[in-house]
Amino acid sequence: MAEIKLNNLTKRWGEFVGVDSQSLHIKDREFLVLLGPSGCGKTTTMRMIAGLEDPTEGEVWIGDRMVNDDLPKDRDVAMVFQNYGLYPHMTIFENIAYPLRARGVAKSEINPRVEKAAEQVELTQFLDRKPKALSGGQRQRVALARAIVRTPKVFLMDEPLSNLDAKLRVTMRAELKHLSRELQVTTVYVTHDQIEAMTLADRVAVMKHGVIQQLGTPDEIYNDPANLFVAGFIGSPAMNLINGSVEGGEFVTTGGTRLVKLNTADRDKAILGVRADDMNVHGAGQGDIDVKIYAFENTGESTLLTVQWGRQRVIARGDRHLRKEQDDVVGISLDADHLYLFDPETEDRIRI
Amino acid sequence: MRDNTLKYLLVLPAVVVVFATAIWPLIEAARLSFTVGRLNRPGSLEQYLGWENYTWAFLEEPAFWNSVWVTAVYTVLTVGLTTILALGLALLLAPGGRLRSSAQTLLILPFAMSPALIGVSFRFMFNPEFGLFDAFFGVLIPPLADVSWLADPNLAFAVVVMADVWGWIPFLTLVLIGGLASVPRDTIEAAQVDGASGWRVFRDVTLPQLGPVLAVVIILKSIFSLKTFDQVFMLTNGGPGTATQTLSHYIYFNGMKYGQIGYSAAVAWLMVIPMIFLTYAYAKFVFRKD
Repeated sequence: MAEIKLNNLTKRWGEFVGVDSQSLHIKDREFLVLLGPSGCGKTTTMRMIAGLEDPTEGEVWIGDRMVNDDLPKDRDVAMVFQNYGLYPHMTIFENIAYPLRARGVAKSEINPRVEKAAEQVELTQFLDRKPKALSGGQRQRVALARAIVRTPKVFLMDEPLSNLDAKLRVTMRAELKHLSRELQVTTVYVTHDQIEAMTLADRVAVMKHGVIQQLGTPDEIYNDPANLFVAGFIGSPAMNLINGSVEGGEFVTTGGTRLVKLNTADRDKAILGVRADDMNVHGAGQGDIDVKIYAFENTGESTLLTVQWGRQRVIARGDRHLRKEQDDVVGISLDADHLYLFDPETEDRIRI
Repeated sequence: MRDNTLKYLLVLPAVVVVFATAIWPLIEAARLSFTVGRLNRPGSLEQYLGWENYTWAFLEEPAFWNSVWVTAVYTVLTVGLTTILALGLALLLAPGGRLRSSAQTLLILPFAMSPALIGVSFRFMFNPEFGLFDAFFGVLIPPLADVSWLADPNLAFAVVVMADVWGWIPFLTLVLIGGLASVPRDTIEAAQVDGASGWRVFRDVTLPQLGPVLAVVIILKSIFSLKTFDQVFMLTNGGPGTATQTLSHYIYFNGMKYGQIGYSAAVAWLMVIPMIFLTYAYAKFVFRKD
């Protein structure tokens, strides 16, 4: 068990900057998620922690040791790969036992430890099989068992759930969370799936173009996004971003609709961010503004109303029993406590 | 025309060619192997002897057994050396290896040479008076300067093996590079993180996954080694004495030089037998269902 420190970590391939001088302090026993779209440098960051990629500049510390010059095998980490990386010629037992064998653990100790790990991920009856004979979810468990069979300082997980089907992903997510709270080992988890990030993480680092955009608890990145990117990336449906300006303490859309009072200085250009959940749906004439429904979607647990708002479309979430048709007119009001204002030029948050 | 008929018609030319150039000669050779079959004796190609040519080879001809022995040792040595060296080179040249593509191109060059040409050039290079190797040894290891490489039975054998290994390394390297590229990188990285040293990653993870490709390479090279003829013919012509006389060379010598077509056809058929096993194994590996 150990903390991880990244100091000005940089990875460049020729002109291309994969990770741009990032510093990050991951606490002991913390579950940290690196979240971002593909190509944002999250996997590269993890691979540099594992030692599978050499940093161009900067330092990686695991515990109180600078590990830049250590081979992966000497860093005492365990990793779960996106494609699992199971050894196809070995049985499940041999796969799980490999980290022990490679580190010269006594034979008498290997059997009970493999069996315990297999038990933890409910694989006991498959130990004699080869990975080929297992389903995707089972292979995923083998990869997990191989990681937990030792007690490493750090767990690294590279999009471990991305190859599973949607239903299995939800189940495995819960199991992963349960397991991680049980094992209490510092974990770095890479994903592009914001739900995984929200549900699993103690803290999330949202990355884009090799730079950490925001580091915070799931609560913070969801309810207090640092900039336009984080606001747009987190949440499903994505946060509504409405172009306009601030005039006389009111937000005015580009179409000229005066929307809400904002306690901020006037500016020519601004983007108002509001989540679908923070837009309340009323009958026509009863909200702040009447809008026409562009599309009405019933997802079962709620309804989504895409409404035409001047020249822009925004999405509001309605009650699950609400039934509307396309072209119906509804009233919308905004929850003034949960509005976000951004500068379209710098994409930074303007505090209001 | 019905699809079925067309199907067979389209395959027919290939079947005819294979039959005319491979199957028919095999059948004719089998027939000849049971005849007296002497080129200088009219009518002997139809004069049947039964199994006598075969029993002659087995019981009365030390030269036959000599060439079997030479071929066996030659095959084991060339297959072993070529595979090991090619695997080493492939590991260096494969993506993620230590050498890069300019070196790759250069290393393929020997394969562009015909085996007969390799034979001739090695003969010149080992010439004790003006050979390249002789000049090298003269400077580096003076005691070896005046050795007549091709006059000593063991040294000549070593030279033939060396020439063959040199000529075949590029092809095997290429195939193994392809094989290495198909080993999932995930598994290698997983082993690195799991705590395996470089050598253990290779032994425990890379090599087992390379197994099927390696098997194909070994079988293929065995087939080529077993039938080696051109290099031996050009380099040593089987000599000194019969020290480097492979089976192919022995068959050629008896058939073409001494005119004993019946006898050499019998020996040729004896050589077909291990070839059939190897070809079968090869086909099994290449067309195996995963």
